[in-house]
Amino acid sequence: MKKLDKRLLRTIRQSKGQFISLTIVVIVALIVYVSFSMVADQLYNSIYQYYEETNFAHIFVDVNRVPGNVVDDLLSIDGVEDVQGRVVSDVPLRVEDPNEKVNVRIVSVPSNEDQINSLFVLEGEELHPGTRTTSVLQQFYIGREMNIGDTLTPFIGGTEYSLEVVAEVGSPEYIYLMENEQSLLPDLKGFGVLYVPEEFAQSALGFQGSYNNIVVTIDESQESRIDIIADDIEDRLERFGIRSIVTRDDHLSHSVMIQEVDSLKLMSQSMTIIFLLVASVVISIMLSRIVKKDRIGIGVLKGLGYGNRQILMHYVKYSIAIGLTGSVIGILFSIPISSMLVDLYVQYMNIPLFKSVIDNNYLIYGTLLTTAFCVTAGFFGARSVLKISPADAMRPETPRSGKKMWIESFQGFWSRVTFSWKMVLRNISRTKRRVFFLVLGIALTYAVTMVPVFMSTIWDTLFEMQYSQMQKMDYSIEFTRPLDTGAIPELQKLTRIDYIEPKVELPFELTDGWRKEIVNVIGVQRDTRMYGFRTPSGRQIELPQKGIVLTDILARQLRAEAGDIIEINSVLPGVSDKTIEVKAVVEQYFGKNAYMDIDQMYEILEEKNIATGALALTDWNIAQDLRDVKNISAINTSQDMRDSMEEYTDLIIASMGALTLFGGVLGFAIVYNITIVSISERIMEFSSLRVLGFDKKDIFRLVTRENALMTVFGLILGMPLGYSMCKGIVDSVSTDMYTLPAIIDPYVYFYSAVATVIFVLVAQYATYKKIRNLNFIDALKNRIS
Amino acid sequence: MSENILLKAENLSKLYQMGEVTVAAVKNVDIEITKGEFAVILGPSGSGKSTLLNILGGMDQPTEGNVLMNGESIIGFNDKKLTAYRRDKVGFVFQFYNLMGTLTARENVELATEICKDALDIDEVLETVGLGDRKDHFPAQMSGGEQQRVAIARAVAKNADLLLCDEPTGALDFETGIKILGLLRDINKKYNKTVVIITHNVPIGEMADRVIKMRSGEIIEITENSNPIDPERIVW
Repeated sequence: MKKLDKRLLRTIRQSKGQFISLTIVVIVALIVYVSFSMVADQLYNSIYQYYEETNFAHIFVDVNRVPGNVVDDLLSIDGVEDVQGRVVSDVPLRVEDPNEKVNVRIVSVPSNEDQINSLFVLEGEELHPGTRTTSVLQQFYIGREMNIGDTLTPFIGGTEYSLEVVAEVGSPEYIYLMENEQSLLPDLKGFGVLYVPEEFAQSALGFQGSYNNIVVTIDESQESRIDIIADDIEDRLERFGIRSIVTRDDHLSHSVMIQEVDSLKLMSQSMTIIFLLVASVVISIMLSRIVKKDRIGIGVLKGLGYGNRQILMHYVKYSIAIGLTGSVIGILFSIPISSMLVDLYVQYMNIPLFKSVIDNNYLIYGTLLTTAFCVTAGFFGARSVLKISPADAMRPETPRSGKKMWIESFQGFWSRVTFSWKMVLRNISRTKRRVFFLVLGIALTYAVTMVPVFMSTIWDTLFEMQYSQMQKMDYSIEFTRPLDTGAIPELQKLTRIDYIEPKVELPFELTDGWRKEIVNVIGVQRDTRMYGFRTPSGRQIELPQKGIVLTDILARQLRAEAGDIIEINSVLPGVSDKTIEVKAVVEQYFGKNAYMDIDQMYEILEEKNIATGALALTDWNIAQDLRDVKNISAINTSQDMRDSMEEYTDLIIASMGALTLFGGVLGFAIVYNITIVSISERIMEFSSLRVLGFDKKDIFRLVTRENALMTVFGLILGMPLGYSMCKGIVDSVSTDMYTLPAIIDPYVYFYSAVATVIFVLVAQYATYKKIRNLNFIDALKNRIS
Repeated sequence: MSENILLKAENLSKLYQMGEVTVAAVKNVDIEITKGEFAVILGPSGSGKSTLLNILGGMDQPTEGNVLMNGESIIGFNDKKLTAYRRDKVGFVFQFYNLMGTLTARENVELATEICKDALDIDEVLETVGLGDRKDHFPAQMSGGEQQRVAIARAVAKNADLLLCDEPTGALDFETGIKILGLLRDINKKYNKTVVIITHNVPIGEMADRVIKMRSGEIIEITENSNPIDPERIVW
């Protein structure tokens, strides 16, 4: 081995604390990059492979009722490859515990071979036409611990039916299973999908020869025309009452999955860049210090006949060693970590074809990326090698010029500052660049730590905002069909309800210019006690007598704002199209809706005193009393959502814990390295202090005071930085379905500060050990480089 | 005579700008060093001898004048050529040894020889400097004299024609200093190397073939010494 390389290895061994801490930062960067990228790609590929195998639809249409022959006619539309009518309906499922509310979606399955959204049988056999059998969606099957041969009892149209479970199946339509757009998270025990033979669904739900749901596939070559094809389909089906028409991009499960892929990619890129940037800056500061300290050694090497390039490479190899060691260990870790991530996804998502595959490209890219960062940092840090002239290197360095700080001109203040604090302040003012980076590093640590702390509170905030401030009802009762409002007081007689209001919730197509969305518009009383509407700026507003109020997600999609006149078209047949003024935009974190006064709704519907459901305030469990009531299709409560949330707590805690740990690694690496650099730079100064009678504790106190001051500045700077990061994450994960509130509890700031201080203290302890072991007197006479 | 000249400096000057004042560290120096010679440049602190040595060794550039090594001018050499000059033609010995603390004695010597074409046998050189049994020790485990021996071995093992020594005894006690001087004399004889020592220590001049005295950047006297004494007889 070349002697310079041997020297490098021994230098690394001497500074192993710095080497290891920086290598860990690189390892984290590489693990995040490789494993997240691999999982993201694998997730994406397996989703599309799954779609391919199961012939996943491109367009999904909900209609009131459409005859089978009309469905077949859609094949004549240019670009349509295949169509399939289905009968789909959400019904209650009878379970042992009468207090437990379980809904299932009954989905009909045709008997022909080439099905759209065909089922992926995981266990059991295919459905037999003409039998009372059902294939159960995997998540629900597992969530309710079912077995093949079990009997399920859905309550359809006032009748209980017994269906034998013949298979556990997966479906591309429900990789991410949620009851509707208002549900935030899957509830694997409370909502499931039962696939039944078509003729059973048609007879039980009263759809003989007709359907209420159509799935469409389009030719591969026509995929870019999907919106036009959807419009054509809409035109054809308009008279049958379209409740919604959704393309694959807006499909609930699909968009959640794609968003998951995107956020993994975003995470893999942004975290990697943050970590590599931090590692690079610290490496560069450390190397520039090493080069400075090695000035005489560099002079000697030049005197011996070593060229600039050889000497520069000698130092750059330090950073290459960090990059390569970090890459190798990172790769070794990233393979099991990515398979752990895959397991986690397999557990929470349901893609039968999803498995861990190692993509060598990412291993190579990762190594190249980290090495490139480290080499650049190395060159940047060690570039002063080139400027050192061998003759100058042999002469003692001129002392750094010292001058008064601006703060010293405040005599009254300065004269009261103790000597050791004066030293602290002077040192800070003399090493501005390093101090700046240390403060920035602590701020970054604070911000990176704040993100998981914030994210762990966000769900509570979200629930609080959505269910306590915006939607105040305890129960939302849905009727099977619009009823006369006279039915509402009747409900109060059946159970204990403190207060009840009617609502009309119907799908409408809203059009502003060329943008249109089919959404549920909800009509409630103007003086409703069930909703608290607030504009994004936080102002409380009441429902206007005339006009419509849009939620912010919807307003964004339509690019509509208060004052705009938009078209509102009922998807029910026989109701004429109208225009309406947007009176306000209100905040709603999940689900996109529009709201209006119920009387305004009647005007649009050209009908009076009807209700599609009711909103109730009560402490009583009304679901039990109302479960057999005819004409009630569903009873929803926010408590169900809170319960389903619990299921995800472990996952959230695990991922947030990992993020906090990353923040800690970053904080430690920054504070430890910068302090070590600072100590080695000031070793002469400390040695002189030792000679003057300072003991090691006094010197440690000096360094601690500096770091404490830096930490305070770092925390102050970290707060806005952390807020922006949280805001950035919130903005990036907001989808068409939900937005997250960037409301940060003061406790989040506090806990993040506590965590950051702990990280700094750990680094401080390592520094203390270093100071304790330093031989100051030797340093004064040392000429060995 | 001229073909016997190893190194020649012509009208060499080195000026430093200190604010508005120009300081001449070396002024119009002419000097010739012959092959196999043992020369001592004598002068008090600040007389410009280190600057002169650095220029002769290709470590620094003069403001004016020329330096010829075996008749070839090294002034105007680019960085690469100057590096090659230092690597192949010159061996340096410094006052404070300047060894690499993380390398053993042997490795410190190897560090220099690795990049040379015709390096001498390292173990033999280490034997010559009296460190045959200390070669695996690190500088921190050695005395000052031993460290200086390593530095001399490092300069010698390169097998360069010229050994430039900057106050080689400056950091050593009297006895050790004398031993180091003896060693340099032996190397001068054994390997036929040209040795130039700079020092402020007047008695050292007695062992030289030629003494070049400097003051305020100028050469004030060059004395041929027809009868150099043995280093062991030097007293200061």
